Amino acid sequence: MEPKKILVIDDEPQITRVLKSSLIAHRYDVRTAADGDSGLDLFRDFHPDLVITDLSMPEMNGIEVCRQIRGISEVPIIVLSVRGEERTKVEALDAGADDYVTKPFGIDELLARIRAAFRRAPDDKRGAQMETGDFIVDLEAHRAYVKSTELHLTPKEFELLTYLVRNHSKVLTHRALLSAVWGDNFTEQTEYLRVFLGNLRKKIEQDPSNPRYILTEPWVGYRFNPSE
Amino acid sequence: MFAFIARNRTLLGYLAALSGPISATILLIPFREAVNSTIIALAFLLVVLFVATFFGSRTALVSSCLSVIFFNFYFLPPYHTLRIDDPRNWMALFAFFVVAITVGQLSATAKRRAEEAERLFDELQEAFERASHAEALKRSEKLKSALLDAVTHDLRTPLTSIKAAITTLIEEQESRQIKLHPEGRREFFDVINEETDRLNNFIQGMVELAKIEAGALNVRKNWGSVQDMIDSAVKRAEKLIGSRHIIVDNERDLPSFFVDSRSLSEVVYTLLDNAVKYSPADSAIRMSARLADAGMIEIAVEDQGRGIPPGMREKVFSKFFRTESEEIHTTSSGLGLGLAIARGIVESQGGKIWIADGNDGFTTRVAFLIPVGDDEI
Repeated sequence: MEPKKILVIDDEPQITRVLKSSLIAHRYDVRTAADGDSGLDLFRDFHPDLVITDLSMPEMNGIEVCRQIRGISEVPIIVLSVRGEERTKVEALDAGADDYVTKPFGIDELLARIRAAFRRAPDDKRGAQMETGDFIVDLEAHRAYVKSTELHLTPKEFELLTYLVRNHSKVLTHRALLSAVWGDNFTEQTEYLRVFLGNLRKKIEQDPSNPRYILTEPWVGYRFNPSE
Repeated sequence: MFAFIARNRTLLGYLAALSGPISATILLIPFREAVNSTIIALAFLLVVLFVATFFGSRTALVSSCLSVIFFNFYFLPPYHTLRIDDPRNWMALFAFFVVAITVGQLSATAKRRAEEAERLFDELQEAFERASHAEALKRSEKLKSALLDAVTHDLRTPLTSIKAAITTLIEEQESRQIKLHPEGRREFFDVINEETDRLNNFIQGMVELAKIEAGALNVRKNWGSVQDMIDSAVKRAEKLIGSRHIIVDNERDLPSFFVDSRSLSEVVYTLLDNAVKYSPADSAIRMSARLADAGMIEIAVEDQGRGIPPGMREKVFSKFFRTESEEIHTTSSGLGLGLAIARGIVESQGGKIWIADGNDGFTTRVAFLIPVGDDEI
């Protein structure tokens, strides 16, 4: 099988050096760039299957990189952020990044995010039935199941679950969730989200106070984990 | 006494309102034949004005009324009656009455307004001071947090390489999912080693800078030779030099100077380090020392590297600088804190340091002046 191609963009040479060596050892095909401009050039030549970019780079920053790549491709993007930079992280996610990893990170964490990104099926599988992890969502019959038990959901809850399943394993900002389910006029109403997700948790989680499926990403949003 | 006045203001006011006209009457009665009634009227008006200014409009009213009565009784014929024979005196009295009341009220109002205006002005000034203080505080908080972000970024960056490298090595050991070639493995070890040093240097630099800024730098001066100081720095920099060659071009017969040799040697080492970092292999680096005027020695390091653009030549001496987008970056990306520390050291010994274009085929010239120190003895 052809190794997946990864493009790493970071202005710190030691970081790109380590990531390149490590990812190659994990059998990925890796190219690196030291800034946004050359990263975008390389993107066009290399056609990677996934992009990893740092957020805080002088000159073109990571958010702009995300925006530009998203403008021409649906390829998954993972951003490297620093703890405490919540707002930048959310901005990057809203600009098109799929996920983030906080520096410093163990290589295992990055690899898990990469694998999750590759596992997510592209959106052409918008078929009538979605099966992911413990969940089955039947869009035609308007039914949903967790571990073969049928769920009794309100229409909004059903929409929410559908969105979560379709975008499983990656972090979803409050804004993205609200926009997808309630529309662009409600992107500030994080209260709605909390209430609805709380109700959803009660219906799908074994122990709603210790959620295993709907995980909270503090300050940023939520992450849907399809299997326990 | 003023407190007494303040507390009993109204009482005193009425007292004045009464005693004013009475005193005026007593004073003026002896002259009532000699003096025109206009003068008398004006005298009373003065009293009313005084009472109005100091005690307000109500007391002025009392004073006005009393003045009218006394004016009539004591000064308008026939004396000691309230009857007035001459109709012109009726007019006079009436006019006096109107004027007295008006003057009283107007001056009281004027006084009140003036007091209010002053009070408002004070309040406004206070509010303005509070606002600008809060603004300054906010700005300094923003600056502090931006600096903190810049510093933590510089601390986290080497940690990121170290963590990623070490977890890869651990994974190789434990999971056997990957197998590294010896060179690949060696590369991770190197990165961990180098980045640990980098982290250490950065921390060291921050501590030194903090000391400089707190004025806690231990400056221990001794008489020493310029040549010796330069030589020790050059020797220390030997292993950095690689294939470049150093030209040492010192003036002859330089005087000894009274300085903290150790820290100045550190400055020279930093300049050499930068010169090496930014100049190509096989290029030349020139070190020179000469006696400048006004009892100063000038030491310079020149290199043939890319050069520092004029717009940056001041910025590189500060530990943080702002880009056009108003973000704060640490100067550590590349140049390190070295120049900031160098400046701190040089200035603490009475000198100055700056960057200029190089001469004779050199692109950059970093030079500093140090006083010889004759006058300190």
